[in-house]
Amino acid sequence: MLFKNKVNEIEVKQGIRSLTMATAIKDVVTISGSLEGGSLYAPIDNKQIANIATAMIDKGTDQKDKYEISDILDSIGAEISFSSSSNHINFTAHCMKKDLKTIMHLIAEQLSTPSLKENELELLKTRVLGNLERNKEDTRKQANIALLRKIYYPDHPNFRSTIDESIKLIKKISIENLQNYHDQVFGLGSVRIASVGDVDPDNLNSIIKDSFGVLKAQNLPDVSEFDTAQKSVEHKESIHIPDKTSADVYIGQSIGIDQDHKDYIPLMMAIYILGGNFSARLMQTVRDKEGLTYGIGSSISSASYKRDGYWSTWATFSPELIKKGIESTRKQINLWTSNGVSQSEVETKKQTIVGSYKVGMDTTGGLANRILSNDEKGRDISYLDDYPNIINSVSIDQVNNAIKTYVDPLNLVEVSAGTL
Amino acid sequence: MSNNNLAPDGFNFIQESHGINEYNLKSNGLRVLTLSDRSAPVATFMVTYHVGSRNEAIGYTGSTHLLEHLMFKGSRNFNKEKGTAIWDELQSIGAQINATTWNDRTNYFEVVPSEHLEKAIAIESDRMRYAFLRDEDRQPEMTVVRNEFERGENSPFDVLDKNIWATAYQAHPYHHSTIGWRSDIENVSTDRLKEFYNVYYWPNNATATIIGDFETSEALEMVKKYFGEHPKSDNPIPDVYTAEPDQEGERRVVVKRTGQTGIVGVAHKTPVGLHQDTYAFQILSKILTDGKSSRFYKSIVDKGLATSLFMYDFPFKDNGLFISYAFLTPDTDNQKVESIILNEYSKIANDGITQNELKKAKAQISSDISFSRDGSYAIAGALNEALAIGDWKFYTNFIENINNVSAKDVQSIVKKYLVEDQSTIGWFIPKK
Repeated sequence: MLFKNKVNEIEVKQGIRSLTMATAIKDVVTISGSLEGGSLYAPIDNKQIANIATAMIDKGTDQKDKYEISDILDSIGAEISFSSSSNHINFTAHCMKKDLKTIMHLIAEQLSTPSLKENELELLKTRVLGNLERNKEDTRKQANIALLRKIYYPDHPNFRSTIDESIKLIKKISIENLQNYHDQVFGLGSVRIASVGDVDPDNLNSIIKDSFGVLKAQNLPDVSEFDTAQKSVEHKESIHIPDKTSADVYIGQSIGIDQDHKDYIPLMMAIYILGGNFSARLMQTVRDKEGLTYGIGSSISSASYKRDGYWSTWATFSPELIKKGIESTRKQINLWTSNGVSQSEVETKKQTIVGSYKVGMDTTGGLANRILSNDEKGRDISYLDDYPNIINSVSIDQVNNAIKTYVDPLNLVEVSAGTL
Repeated sequence: MSNNNLAPDGFNFIQESHGINEYNLKSNGLRVLTLSDRSAPVATFMVTYHVGSRNEAIGYTGSTHLLEHLMFKGSRNFNKEKGTAIWDELQSIGAQINATTWNDRTNYFEVVPSEHLEKAIAIESDRMRYAFLRDEDRQPEMTVVRNEFERGENSPFDVLDKNIWATAYQAHPYHHSTIGWRSDIENVSTDRLKEFYNVYYWPNNATATIIGDFETSEALEMVKKYFGEHPKSDNPIPDVYTAEPDQEGERRVVVKRTGQTGIVGVAHKTPVGLHQDTYAFQILSKILTDGKSSRFYKSIVDKGLATSLFMYDFPFKDNGLFISYAFLTPDTDNQKVESIILNEYSKIANDGITQNELKKAKAQISSDISFSRDGSYAIAGALNEALAIGDWKFYTNFIENINNVSAKDVQSIVKKYLVEDQSTIGWFIPKK
């Protein structure tokens, strides 16, 4: 199966791209869509506006209150959800084929004319603030926030506010803030919709053109420049959270490059060899051989859309085993950086990554997300067909050079959170 | 062959339901379920053992789960010494591989590029009877599982849920959670785990499910080739005979721990999973918490009293629990939310539900079922849970049974089961 032959892509109207892929599944369709937006385009002094504005989208429109919308969705067994990331407003839906028109019209209505009522905002704030209070007890979230605050400058999209700072920012948000953000971001210009399942492209594109025509043009504000991450220096931090029987640990640093950089894929493969899956080095040693953790792994994060990302190892340890666990983890990182990886490891991980890529085609949701993400990055659909060849063309020298260039074992940021 | 209900040599064809065929391997009683769907180049192979934490007792709670971990440590043909460790063999081809344990079953699965289906079958067959289960593997794995237990204990919800089950069930093994008690995880012997393995890990206590891109006769031949070498168990598979005594009054449990927000759980005993009332509980669950127009969303979340809701409505082989969970907003009183939940039950007991609520709930479930067929793993996973409660056709006939539920049926189950004397109320109270 080639994506370039299976995916129908068209600009149905100026500012709306539609990518459809018919599969053998009967009657159901999964939709994954986005428009440029997210926290990158929120005011510099309150990035939380993006999250709250997006969360208000399903709280009613000028035409229907939230209960009427819910009744429509419930009566046809469909679901729509909206979310905000750093660079996009995302929407996903699944529905029966016969209900596509209803769903597309509803998505467009919710994006274009949310009611943004004061009482709904206050209710939403109560819930969001409650969740944030709960996050204070979350050892993994607290450790990750601390890591990102150490790696990035405050104006970088990957920087994170503390939970208390987020609470303060959310409390300040007004309906006027949301309306201003909505007026700039929620419009036509960068809408992409990937639909996978039992779809007829011509019919669906006609529905999209008709329903999304109600959106006015997007008027995105200029995005302020940000500095790439600071070069890491050795840093150790411990966050005390009482009454926790397991601690979370992050060890990582910035990589200074994004996904489009020529070294990205060799570096990604190197980090996969270190801790990408159960048969990778960290799980085989720190967990399987030494029994020090239930979960450990390593990956690159937040390196898309021209953002310089970071690599990290994450693990959980019992407080009484944490010292030993961190020592063992660092030992593996040091071996990996000093000795590099072997030819057989590179060849095995190539098979793993290519095989996983194929397995990921098993669901309509997996396919829709893959198609959308590829298009958001400005890549031709044929990139999805070429990806296995790109992986297979990586050499061991490229992988080992990437480790030497982007990983500095003497200057890692290490954060632990738990009852320590 | 597969779709005209003929069985290849060595198999009995048992039945077909909604495209899924059941066979029985004559030589040892292994049940095999197949559904060929060649739309994506992927296949899922899953072995469900009809053993779970319900088959454990004091001293070896958590054994089913610990054994599941040891099953990845090597077997006769797939082990590190030979350079054929299970994870390496399967992850090197990009397979998704894992295993899970729950009250009534343990399952091992591989989602593989379809050309590698045979490898998955060979591995599962090998470890069905030839797993090493060595003490030197149990020792480091015990601390791995203990960390899994500790991670769960980090969550106020997990702790409250364990306490509710332990309070609601006194004699029946649903009293303890699948991960077991910490001291049992730490102290159970390798010999006890081997005994467990030798009692339950046999072809006549297992179901192999194959979904996705394969030709049925070829897949069955592979099953016969690998699993056919195993005999039936020497002894009958023992069943659980412990019955929970009747509950004679409301029970309450409170967990206090450092935290920021409270949780309320209101639990009631439910019938066995295969009871016809199970379907009315599924409808009730949708009416109470699914979507913004659901009853609890309007009366609890929309009043700013909770950040979210969770309905625990899973059917089990034996009597289970129907639990309404509310995750409270800061400073919300547990009692207030508990009263709202119980009042809503009273309203339904007295006034019933509307036809519109019933219609919406059925539409939601119908759509859920359609999407539960999205991908080979999703189908195998759903069959696995149906097998656990005792009949894989629970999955294929589910929507038909749901459509037979009336508004009166829902009112009846609320009157019959959601009563004070059968309730267990749990509160998590944060200590600041």
